[in-house]
Order: sequence, then structure tokens, then C-alpha cells
Amino acid sequence: MKEINARGLACPAPVLQTKATLQEEKPGSVKVIVDNAASQQNVQRFLESQGFQTTLEQTGDDYLVIGTCVSEPAEQPRLSAEQQSDVKQIMVMCATDRIGFGDDELGLKLMVNFLRTLKEMGNELWRLVFVNNGVKLCIDGSEVLDDLREYEKDGLKILVCGTCLDHFNLLDSKQVGETTNMLDIVIAMQLADKVISI
Amino acid sequence: MVFPTDENVIVGLDRADDAGVYKISDDLALIQTVDFFTPIVDDPYWFGKIAAANALSDVYAMGGTPKTAMNLVAFPVKEMELSILRQIIQGGLDKLTEAEVVLIGGHSVEDKELKYGLSVTGVVHPAQVLTKKNLRPADRLVLTKPLGTGIINTAIKAGMASAELTDKVTHLMALLNRDAAKIMSNFNVSACTDVTGFGLLGHLAEMVCGSGKGVRIFSKQVPVIAEALEFASMGIIPAGAHKNREFRESMVVFAETVERSRQDVLVDPQTSGGLLIGVSANQANELITALKDAGIGDAAQIGEVLSGPEEKIWVV
Repeated sequence: MKEINARGLACPAPVLQTKATLQEEKPGSVKVIVDNAASQQNVQRFLESQGFQTTLEQTGDDYLVIGTCVSEPAEQPRLSAEQQSDVKQIMVMCATDRIGFGDDELGLKLMVNFLRTLKEMGNELWRLVFVNNGVKLCIDGSEVLDDLREYEKDGLKILVCGTCLDHFNLLDSKQVGETTNMLDIVIAMQLADKVISI
Repeated sequence: MVFPTDENVIVGLDRADDAGVYKISDDLALIQTVDFFTPIVDDPYWFGKIAAANALSDVYAMGGTPKTAMNLVAFPVKEMELSILRQIIQGGLDKLTEAEVVLIGGHSVEDKELKYGLSVTGVVHPAQVLTKKNLRPADRLVLTKPLGTGIINTAIKAGMASAELTDKVTHLMALLNRDAAKIMSNFNVSACTDVTGFGLLGHLAEMVCGSGKGVRIFSKQVPVIAEALEFASMGIIPAGAHKNREFRESMVVFAETVERSRQDVLVDPQTSGGLLIGVSANQANELITALKDAGIGDAAQIGEVLSGPEEKIWVV
């Protein structure tokens, strides 16, 4: 194992020393010794970007990064970085409290199931907006109230149309979400990568 | 430590804001600030320009108009040629002239390490002082310059940045926040600061602390110098970024989907960074349009203020 002593060096010198060693000697494994946590993290990041698998150790004042080459370095790191950052922001807008037409009982059951299953979108679920009859899902007695509260607790922003609540005389019955206006809804649509309308 | 107080102090040490504000009369207050540092670029003339833009920025961030400035110089007379100092001061002076600020004095000392900066005095109406506090729920957050100067400067030190990139970042750091501040004054703005050494999230944390509100940042909408992400993924990151991250760790929640290099850019210490503005939601788009029309093309809506109760920064 190639040992690189980068003690006493400040960022980015330890990374540069490691880089030079990899270029000149192409070792299969390296042990880089630094004396501060910032350099340890930087060297770890660099080795990983070069196709090394790393482990970290700390002995006394020394921070060690041990790297083993497992693959060729990525040719275009920028491309892969952009791909990773491509997290969608999905906005779901419910303009009704039932899914589809026909049987109302079935429609409500589907809607409850839909809202519960939405969590499978994970972090990409970014806004949940209720307008028109949809606001009735956010009031006292709604079957999905607990689910919506759970979403909100997890950081999802739920917007409920104020004009609609007012129209149905439900302003005081709203139990979850932020009362909102059309401008906020339009801005959310503009910011979203994808808008799903129900 | 106990600091003396005075009823005319509008913003003092207890607030730890961008600058101090002292009321002279009912319609006039003084803004005072001082800032100096070691060279961040090799070109002395541009170092002077950046130092001046950086020192002026605190006045702009508080909603004021800078009027006068004084130079602060520490110079290794025995080791360096005086022509270098002359270029630095010329750069500072040119930036002040651009900002319509007069240089009225200064002080220099001999030092082993070169340092340059300025103390700046400005004016503001006492009722129009903007501080870091007072964000309102549902406000939108706007940032006027892209992030990543700390990482790029580290790459420049490492000899890994192209001449073109060096040039781009140098100009970015020397860009005055004057126009952004002027435009901001026409909008319903609740709070403002400039993004510098603590990085975006660090300065945001100062806005959030004690406010009883949280904020949500849409990381993909935060303007970033593209190359900074690339260098960050290779570990070309200044030690200050790691310190900034650790310092505010308890307040910041990153969604799993925010890649590590983007997180690094969000805590990257900035030199002469942009303004971070809280604006009412119904004016946010209009503010962005006005900023872009004025040539501040990187300006972007980057997040929103939540109603609380947790004082946290959610990064999605």
C-alpha cells in the first residue's frame, strides 16, 4: 500500500499530493495521513471520485484515509453530477374529493387510496394542492386527515384554496395544510417539474 | 462582555448584523462597517476592487447608500514592491468611484502579511433599515449571485482552474451589490443580508435563529457556478466549508436526494457574495424579473419561509 504523508498541510494541498501520487505511480491502494477532519473528508471525496473505495480511521492526532482502487475513474464527473442532482419536484393538485365519475362511494375509496399511496413518490412529492371540492379532504371528519397530517409533519407543503373553503363556508373547519391563493398555486406550478392533476 | 447602549443605536453589537446603524435624526441614520482580508486573487488591482465591493456590500444589505470610505492597509514594505500596493489601492478607488463613494482617508501599518480592506460609512432612513431578522411566513427567498467562489478560489490555488474560470469568478466577486439593492428597495422586502464567509446556509441560519420560523430551500434552484460542483465532487473544498457545515449541523436538514457536492456549495464560504432577500410571495416573480432586466442574470428564487414552529432549514 502506498503511504502518503500529508500532515501539516491545509486544503487543498493533501488532495493535490494524493492526486499527484495517483497520476505518477497509479497505486492499487493508498493510505493518506492528514491531521485535520476537513482534509480527511476532501481526500476521501477525491479518492472516491477516482474510483477508490475508502475507509476512515483516526489514531491520535492523525486522520487516515485508506483507499482501494475498484474501478476506473469516471470520465465525465460533471455529467454524472448533473444527473444525480436531477431530483424532480412533483406537484399534485386535487380539484375533487373523488377519483373519476360513476360510483361516488368507489370514487372516494379510490381517492383515499390514492392519497395514501402518494408517499411512494418519496422526496419527489413536493406540493399537494387542494382546490374546489378537493378542500373537503382537509376538513373535520375527512378520512385522510391523519395521512395528510403525517405528510405535513414529514415536511410536505400542503396548500388549501382559501376561495374554495370560503365558498363552501368551511374556513373554520380546515384541519390541515396552509390556506393559499391562486397566485401561490400558479407559482408552485411554475416551480414544479411535473404537475399531476386529479 | 457588557457593551454600552444608547437609545440612538438602531442596530448594534447585540444584533450581530451586517453593519452598525446609529440614528442622527428622525429621518437620517448612519451605517458603519469595516472589512479587510488577505489577497484572494493574484492580480493586485482586482484584489483591490473585490475588497472594496465586499466592504460596500454590508451597507447595501442594510438598505443604505454608502457615502464615504477609508482604506485599511497592512503591507510587508520590506518584501514587496510598493507598486503592488499602488495597484491594490487603485482597484479599490476605481470600485468606490463606480459606487459614487468618496475615499476620505485611511491608515496603513507594516505587517508580514498583506491585507487590504475599507471602513465604509453610509446613510439610510431610520425606518428603512433592513436587518437579517423579520422574515415573515410565506416570504420567498431570493439570491442575487451564484455560489461557489470559495471552492473555485481553492481550485485556483491548486492550479486546477482555467484562466477563463478565474476571470469569471474574479469579475463576479468584484460585482457591486448596488444595483440589486436599489431594485430591492422598490419591493416589499422583510429582511436582507449578504452571503459571505458562513456560506448561504450559515447566513440563512442567522436569519432563522430566534425568528420562530423555518425555511425551505429548493437546492436545484440555487444559482451555482457549474464548475464548483465538479471541483467539490473531487474534494477541492476549502476547510471553511466543512467548518460552516459542522457549525450549523443541528439546524440544517438535507433531503437524501441532495447530492453531496451541492451540499458543499451551499455551505461554501463566499467572498463578496450576493444579497439574500426575503420578499413577499406575491412580489417574488416581479423582483426576479426586475433584477434580470437590470443585468443581474443569476438572480433566482431559492426558497420560502415556513410558518414554523421549528427554526430549521430544510434543503430539498
